[in-house]
Amino acid sequence: MTAPAISLRGISKSFDGVQALVDVSVDIMPGTIHALVGENGAGKSTLGKILAGVYHADEGQVLLAGAPVTLAGPREALVHGITIVAQEIALVGTRSVLENVYLGSESHTGPFVRTRTLRRRYAELVAETGIDVDADTLVDQLSIADQQKVEILRALARNADVIVMDEPTARLATHEAATLMTIFRGLRDQGRTIVFVSHFLEEVFSVSDHVTVLRDGRKVADALAADLTPTELITMMVGRSLDAVFPDKRASADSGDAVLQVRGLTRPQTFEDISFDVFPGEIVVVTGLVGSGRSEVVRSVYGLLPHDGGEVFFDGRSVRHAHPRQAIAHGMALIPESRKAEGLFLGFPVAGNIALPHLRRFTRWGIVDGSSLRRAAAEKMAAVGVKAASPGVAAGLLSGGNQQKILFARAFMSDLRLLIADEPTRGVDVGAKRQIYELLAELAARGTGVLVVSSEMEEVIGLAHRVIVMRRGRIAGQLAGDAITENAIAHLAFGQDATVGTDHS
Amino acid sequence: MTITDDTATTPSTDRPARSTAWGNTLGRFGILVAVVALFIILSLTTPGFFSGLNLRNLLDQQAPILIAAAPLTLVLIAGQFDVSLSAVYITAPLVGLQVESHTGSIALAVLAGLVAGLAAGAFNALLVVICRINSFISTLAASYIIAGIGYLVSDQAILTPSSPGFRGFAATRVLGLSTATLMAVVVIAVCWVLLALTRYGRYVYATGANAEAAKVSGVRTRWIVASTFLLTGAAAGFAGMVNASQSMSAQATDDFSFVFAALAAVVVGGTSIAGGAGAVWRTVAGALFIAMMNNGFNLNQVDPIYQRIILGLVILGAVGIDALTRSRNAT
Repeated sequence: MTAPAISLRGISKSFDGVQALVDVSVDIMPGTIHALVGENGAGKSTLGKILAGVYHADEGQVLLAGAPVTLAGPREALVHGITIVAQEIALVGTRSVLENVYLGSESHTGPFVRTRTLRRRYAELVAETGIDVDADTLVDQLSIADQQKVEILRALARNADVIVMDEPTARLATHEAATLMTIFRGLRDQGRTIVFVSHFLEEVFSVSDHVTVLRDGRKVADALAADLTPTELITMMVGRSLDAVFPDKRASADSGDAVLQVRGLTRPQTFEDISFDVFPGEIVVVTGLVGSGRSEVVRSVYGLLPHDGGEVFFDGRSVRHAHPRQAIAHGMALIPESRKAEGLFLGFPVAGNIALPHLRRFTRWGIVDGSSLRRAAAEKMAAVGVKAASPGVAAGLLSGGNQQKILFARAFMSDLRLLIADEPTRGVDVGAKRQIYELLAELAARGTGVLVVSSEMEEVIGLAHRVIVMRRGRIAGQLAGDAITENAIAHLAFGQDATVGTDHS
Repeated sequence: MTITDDTATTPSTDRPARSTAWGNTLGRFGILVAVVALFIILSLTTPGFFSGLNLRNLLDQQAPILIAAAPLTLVLIAGQFDVSLSAVYITAPLVGLQVESHTGSIALAVLAGLVAGLAAGAFNALLVVICRINSFISTLAASYIIAGIGYLVSDQAILTPSSPGFRGFAATRVLGLSTATLMAVVVIAVCWVLLALTRYGRYVYATGANAEAAKVSGVRTRWIVASTFLLTGAAAGFAGMVNASQSMSAQATDDFSFVFAALAAVVVGGTSIAGGAGAVWRTVAGALFIAMMNNGFNLNQVDPIYQRIILGLVILGAVGIDALTRSRNAT
């Protein structure tokens, strides 16, 4: 029995009080492909980043060949032969492949780079790995798949023996992903070790030797891939108890015609043939893995992202929103995924933030009536429970939960027909979460259509009258009523077509 | 080149209250205090400063700068830059005076100058909004093109108005002030009201503070940006006509420093070059501060070389204060 290349012992890590990893121990054997799997937020990426020195564990040890080491940063990890290919490509886009591969490790004579030596080394590297990317192409001109190859080549050029691949296929087309899997096998056969962080189970099963399953930051299983079935794996990944923070699901008032009908919506490389309905009084949750195209679909409906094909009907009329302005005029509101980037004006007063889309109502002869605006905003602040000293306080001074509620107050200021909320509880505390769930449920009870995008399984199950599960830009399935179970959602999201609802023992 | 840290789960915490509404405007009246203090100091110490003649001249000199700097404030608040003001300021009156010499009509001449400025603003808007070129670079490029057109229009000659009455456009006395000064007051008032009181003004602030969020809120951010360039182009053309009337001439080789004076007024006033915050009254205060400072130096016979150095330091000081406040309120 060979000794592990890397051992993690009792690793714990938290971010701002949220436990990302709790007491995780894993052995990674040399010359294997070791998969770290789990749902969104299970802690798999965090573990990969600790391995590669990007994050520092709060507790626990990293052992290399049996000896404890402190990996102060990615640079130090590389000295030990470990590197990471992150989800975000970290290449210099405006320079050539060759320059990127050898950036920081150039052969040189004095200050002059010996390009010819670099070319020879590059040719050797390509011959050795079989990963072929043209040396002189600018990185910006490469596809994402080829950019990842460049990242891998760069890792290998620095003699990395252990490569952590963080969700490498999330943004790849199927055939590109297959090519990458072939590359992984080739590298393993040369004796290199790959830690493969992924939530695509087919890929995990196709290449991995070992699988470590994480759930809510804890290790729940560690097994040889050959000993597992997909269904077993999914059952291990899910299976959480629901917190009782959700309001009762009032039966959605069956009030006839759909408020939103989406038919065959398509945007190349993003989403394809998306069709669904939202009825008044209904909470529809779109879920799926990160990168499956969920946000893009709702943003397209709202007019933030153009689509090429398909049709959107709002209250029965065909609409094509080229700008959010039109969507707002029709009675839609969007609570964007990123509060800071797309939601709030942090330096503006709370009242100004709330009223901005509705200024027309407070304008006479072009002049904004500031006092009636503040009064109306204060009313909405009270209605949704924004806690601020006054409507004049700058939005940036409030807590995350209160900032999120400002966006709700903004949406509620109009005669809302459809609310689109993209990850509405991201980065807010438990108390604010519960209030936000109440707001969504009340809104639906009053007959507004509610379309939520969420990654959090509890939220999906706790809120939804109907769930739309997306996978790789397509709708993998829809679930309603009692059919909404973790297992059913996970099977659709992870792409295992096991019979829904029968394998939960 | 390191791997990006994951900061997605950082909840924002309440921090000590410092900033106030509409981008710190209310809390920062420093420039007003400086203007009043300088006025009092110069009145007490410098003979010849506090006289009707001197103050009227001071306002007359500032009129063209104020006419262009007031709408330029909107461009900066919308998060853009316009360095083509000088070229417009020089070229538009060349168009105007050619029209005047052909038609003999002062009204048509002024209108032509205004339209020429508007056209230049439309060109800038096209480059920034449609072609999506960084506004600093595109207006720099536009400067050369517009200045070149100025040479073509004037045939490289010094143009003078055919009618001596053209002087009256800027120099007629009404209620003790020149029409130049009064027109500047009107332009300032319009820009002030537009920015501070109207829905349009709110959209300008929103676009500069967070263009993405403004778009999500239904603001047509591209149209807002375009409109600020249109306003500023037209105003710069009009300012050029006022200047041509004051000097009774115009030529393509005129001094290019106009844009610096206008930008200095905006920045010294305290409008943030980062966009999203500022005010027209600040620009007025900034322009008056610089004007009084230079006037005081002249009356005290300070070497103009030192005047330039000190003005540079004042601009640095103003930008420094802006950067300091912004880093303190950074979110």
